[in-house]
Amino acid sequence: MHTAAARSEKERHLAFELLGLISRALAAALAVSLTLAALVLLLAGLAQASDTLDAPDARPIRAALMLKSGAYAHAAPLLDTDVSIQVSGPLARTRVVQTFRNPGDNWLEGVYVFPLPEHAAVDRLRMRIGERVIEGEIHEREAARAAYDKARGEGKQTSLVEQQRPNMFTTRVANIAPHAEIRIEIEYQQTLAWEQADASGRYSLRFPMVVGPRYIPGAPVHTPAEPGSGWAPDTDRVADASRITPPVAHSDAGPVNPLKLRVELDAGAPIASVHSHHHAIQTDTPSPATRTITLADGATFADRDFELSWTLVASTAPTAVLFADAGRERTHALLMLMPPAMAPDTARLPREVVFVVDTSGSMLGTSIEQARAALALALQRLPAEDRFNVIEFNSASRMMFDTARPASPANIAEAVAWVRALEAEGGTEMAPALALALDGSGDPARVRQVIFLTDGAVGNEDELFGLIQRQLGDTRLFTIGIGSAPNSHFMRKAAQTGRGTFTYIGNLDDVQTRMTELFAKLEAPVLKGVTVRWSDNPDADMSPRHIPDLYLGEPVLVSAALARASGDVEISGSSGAVQWATRISLADANHGHGVGVLWARSKIAALLDTLHDGANEDEIGAAVVALALEHHLVSKYTSLVAVDKTPVRPAQDELKSAAVPTNLPAGWDADAVFGELPRGATDTRWNLLVGLLALLLGGLLWLQQRRHPAIRAQGC
Amino acid sequence: MRWPARGRIWARRLLVLVTAAMIATGLWHLGHAGYIQAKALLAQVLIKQAWADTRDGAGRARPWPWADTWPVARLKAPAQRADLYVLAGADDRTLAFGPGHVHGTPLPGEAGNSVMGAHRDTHFAFLQWLENGDEIEVETPARDTLRYRVSHTAVVDKDDLGVLAQPPVGRQITLVTCYPFNALRAGGRLRYVVIAEAVDATLASAHGLSVTPGGHEFSPETGLRPLVAARADAVQ
Repeated sequence: MHTAAARSEKERHLAFELLGLISRALAAALAVSLTLAALVLLLAGLAQASDTLDAPDARPIRAALMLKSGAYAHAAPLLDTDVSIQVSGPLARTRVVQTFRNPGDNWLEGVYVFPLPEHAAVDRLRMRIGERVIEGEIHEREAARAAYDKARGEGKQTSLVEQQRPNMFTTRVANIAPHAEIRIEIEYQQTLAWEQADASGRYSLRFPMVVGPRYIPGAPVHTPAEPGSGWAPDTDRVADASRITPPVAHSDAGPVNPLKLRVELDAGAPIASVHSHHHAIQTDTPSPATRTITLADGATFADRDFELSWTLVASTAPTAVLFADAGRERTHALLMLMPPAMAPDTARLPREVVFVVDTSGSMLGTSIEQARAALALALQRLPAEDRFNVIEFNSASRMMFDTARPASPANIAEAVAWVRALEAEGGTEMAPALALALDGSGDPARVRQVIFLTDGAVGNEDELFGLIQRQLGDTRLFTIGIGSAPNSHFMRKAAQTGRGTFTYIGNLDDVQTRMTELFAKLEAPVLKGVTVRWSDNPDADMSPRHIPDLYLGEPVLVSAALARASGDVEISGSSGAVQWATRISLADANHGHGVGVLWARSKIAALLDTLHDGANEDEIGAAVVALALEHHLVSKYTSLVAVDKTPVRPAQDELKSAAVPTNLPAGWDADAVFGELPRGATDTRWNLLVGLLALLLGGLLWLQQRRHPAIRAQGC
Repeated sequence: MRWPARGRIWARRLLVLVTAAMIATGLWHLGHAGYIQAKALLAQVLIKQAWADTRDGAGRARPWPWADTWPVARLKAPAQRADLYVLAGADDRTLAFGPGHVHGTPLPGEAGNSVMGAHRDTHFAFLQWLENGDEIEVETPARDTLRYRVSHTAVVDKDDLGVLAQPPVGRQITLVTCYPFNALRAGGRLRYVVIAEAVDATLASAHGLSVTPGGHEFSPETGLRPLVAARADAVQ
């Protein structure tokens, strides 16, 4: 009895002690936590303080749509693309065959939004239904749409190719029979990018495959017109948002839109090397100047740009090419010329370099890694006499220093650390960031350069070009297109408006070479005042009218419409103190089929650029329409339409319409672009459980040690 | 006999160390849990003043000088005794201090579907007890108090953005939190969604809206249409 009572008292005592211990621990924990909370409330967020600009009041549009696996599978046509590119010298002609297959039992209309190179001159559409071929005709945009709608309603098979942006087009195909397919063939002409690199010519070809989801700023507006089939509504800042935001397939369903690609390369001179930047290729070599390139895997999925570059054997590479194409009334000519290398400028002006980096959600993943690496490299290369600053932007803009600071080792180290810590999330409010970079500040004794790293995934390009035009001043803007599917139209036009150059970084391996080339351009003197004269054609209609300033390694590229196919062309300029001039006779020109189309395409772009200067849109529109109709070109105001003769869909059968879903560009993160629902939980419960268990165990151990030191000693 | 004696001393020292580590771990975890809860409570106290300033027309009144958020509404569920200040933005940083309004959806009290999120174990713990027909009040900066009634609850995946969809007409709020409520750890895929529709038809009609009785039925398919456009229809 006695021992039992003693034991129960002992147990009670132990329980009390344990309770005491726990309550003391809890009290201590509460005190600590309250202090911590107060402290953190006082200190948290200090880092995000200073230079944050608020996003504009208008609410941005969220990409509020992700296709769940299978959600559209029954409705949308399946798409398959076959691309063949014929390269001859610096010109290329491409045929894109889109096969729309109807897997279901309904009659279908398919809508596919797809990218093409930003300077592609699209001049041909063919619709193939079985063995029959219907040739597309060029019409003004509204007329083409009306013809398409009428044929669609009548049950005729019909297709329409419209331009949404210079690098973004829409194919519509109506009345695809159940379990049947319709093939759409689109052709375009382009000039290739040509650069002087490693004492030789390097050409590059870029074929984009997917339109990445664009950020749409502005507030939704109601438009009388029928909205497009995209995920975004039209807004006050992007009037056609619903047409440029194709639905994105959920990655759970696997990739969609298989694509085959073949390049017949005839470089015109012996080829030294061929390199595909983002796809494994198989290369055949029929002769030293030709290659046949196909994808090593046979096919790929349309989720990133295809980029191919080749260099010529140094001694044989031409430094000038002239093409001529005699037409009925006028001869069109295309001139490409590599100016002589300039002597390095001895009195180099110190620079002020402002880096602007896009840290929006679309950059999350591989893109932000490429941007960080490129920026870090650029910062470390700055000479000590230069000044610099860094701006990051997503929904808001943030400037690293209040004003540009000297590129001292300490400042550079600080900036590199700042850049390495950048994370990508949120929207792409690009206008405030550009305005911040082009704020008219800067020392007149310094050359001011803005280096802009972005994927260009925005829908308000024209608004931004206008802003650059107005605020550029003496600054020069250089764009670096980041990621697997950059918006090439934005990269080129922003750089052109900003009187700089553009470059692309598609993976981490490119960073070193591309950035080194860019530095060479930034540091070398600019070739100014190049003039082109056509001896027998004083009234030559040239595009561009004036040759822009040329950076190191850039060619003179000009096309012209000439009344007389005779005489010669003289190109002259001055490199520092040395005058140079080159003369080429038109009689020696190569025959270049499709040069007229390239001239018209370039002319249309130049005409549309005048809109930023406040030109009358009706006049410009009329001029563009006339040019486009004459040259059979798709443009902002003209579309290609093909209509079959006989109706095939029975009147009682309904026609279903569906947008073809696209892939998310490779390396992108869906949650960062489209968002996810708020994350609504903390680890409180977990912390409580683990905390209590640990305390309990600790307390028991402690009691054990206090109570039975002797027993433990004896026990051993 | 030297060896065992030494072994005993080391064993004791090790035991003391383990005990101390246990107690430290326990204290840290309890402290952290307390810290999360205390931050959630304390912040709401600070936001109260900012909300008063906002209602006096201060615009974006920041509850503490370096805050990157500001109150946009006050949310009450009288039956659950919930009284919360809703902050702008629903990112993790904001949700530590209060319910967050999801950018890109209409503000609470405006036409359309206003979406708010908060943690299931702090501010939005009361969602689990809400039932269809329960009343929710929203106070706007313009000093209006709008009444809503819970019409629907659902459990969805975190990627199911149909929750953000906009009804063609009417005014609703959607409250989102993590699910299940008693899960130990954060980071699950599921979300608990409460949809409440405006009760006060007179106020809605004052804003030029017609409210359909019964209103908008939530379904995941709604997400497949660009519904923000529908909202523009409703506003015009």
